[in-house]
Amino acid sequence: MQQEKFETKMMEYLAGELDQEGRAEFERVLKDYPEYKDEFDSLCHAWERMDETTVPEPSERMNESFFEMLHAKTQKDKAKPKDLWKGVRSLYYFLWRPQLAYGMLLLTIGLGVGYFLNPGKTDDSVRTVAVSDAETVEVREQLVLTLLEQSSANKRLQGVNEVNKIQKADEKVIKALLQTLNKDANVNVRLAAIEALINYVENPMVREGLIQSIVHQESPIVQITLADLMVALQEKKSVESFKTLMRTKELDSSVKQKLENSIDQII
Amino acid sequence: MHSLTDNALMLQVKSGDLGKLGLLYERHKKRLFGFFYNMNGNASLSEDLVQNVFERMLKYKHTFTGDGTFTAWMFTTARNVNYDHHRKHKPTLHQNDVTTMEYKLQDPEDVERGMIKEDENSLLQQALKKLAPEKREILVLSKLKEMKFSEIAQVLGCSEGAAKVKAHRALKDLRTVFMQLETG
Repeated sequence: MQQEKFETKMMEYLAGELDQEGRAEFERVLKDYPEYKDEFDSLCHAWERMDETTVPEPSERMNESFFEMLHAKTQKDKAKPKDLWKGVRSLYYFLWRPQLAYGMLLLTIGLGVGYFLNPGKTDDSVRTVAVSDAETVEVREQLVLTLLEQSSANKRLQGVNEVNKIQKADEKVIKALLQTLNKDANVNVRLAAIEALINYVENPMVREGLIQSIVHQESPIVQITLADLMVALQEKKSVESFKTLMRTKELDSSVKQKLENSIDQII
Repeated sequence: MHSLTDNALMLQVKSGDLGKLGLLYERHKKRLFGFFYNMNGNASLSEDLVQNVFERMLKYKHTFTGDGTFTAWMFTTARNVNYDHHRKHKPTLHQNDVTTMEYKLQDPEDVERGMIKEDENSLLQQALKKLAPEKREILVLSKLKEMKFSEIAQVLGCSEGAAKVKAHRALKDLRTVFMQLETG
């Protein structure tokens, strides 16, 4: 093996980027070439010594400054539409030059005449669309609630999938989803309920509901999915629920290992 | 679960849902803090630099395309923040300072000029501080931050092969510094 290739392979080996076959091949090279073995040993020693490093915990001040900054930026961002309106207004004034004035005046008169010749219709149609949108959401929510109560798992699954079509589900639907997550006999329905609830994790009721549901879960796949979700959310309150689950239920050994890892990642 | 991956969250931040940056911060604050702390050994400065990274992510959120990994994009930003900080706080050099400058470059103590020295107890920390910043950086990223060489290559703007060669050279230098510290 050429020196440069050896060096590259050594870094891959040390960083754990070689697969099993690659590792075996590299170890064979070390066995066959003592000079490479010496170099590897001394560098491997330096590499492993880097594990001795200790990093202190960042202080609470860092969190405070970050969330203050984020809050300020979010507020500023919300205020942006006003700036946009300002831009539109300045563009309007820019366009409002004498040569355009007559054209605009004629257009306004034309629109006015058209409006009076055709009264009411546009308003009604806009109102009808708005009302029918609200009705659609209401009907869909009702459909979700009905489907979730069906005895067929397929129907209940369809009910959960309907939730994803609603832009912002109301409290009744959220409560029904949490109920499904805790009580549904079918694992697939429970998993689908978690997926649907993920869209609402910013709602404290949903977060609390997810945490409380941990102790009710019997299925390993649901337990693991909730563990992954809690790690993703870095939800510290869930640690206690996982510990209770491990204490009170007989868990599969790989699930137990997974939950322990998740707790470590959250802490 | 897809909607909660780092890339998906950053794309949501990009589209205006700035609150999602809070989740990314919770996930990566320790890793970033560790990166800066390993680079400069100063906890208070590291906290400020973490804050700068997230401010910059918001400012340049439009540049995130989601093609590479979020981690690579974040560490590229962290690297720029670190570089800018040290560039701003570097003492001004004049023409007649050339001799002093050459001397300074040879003296490892002066490489870390401007950094507040905290917690120099371990030999490793001393050794890391004696390495050139770019060498320390690649070792911190590959070993301590457990980044893949493909990601490091994106951060450094070089090929994956070149990243491995650089890491190897840096490790060799670290070994030499260890030996110097132990013998003398």
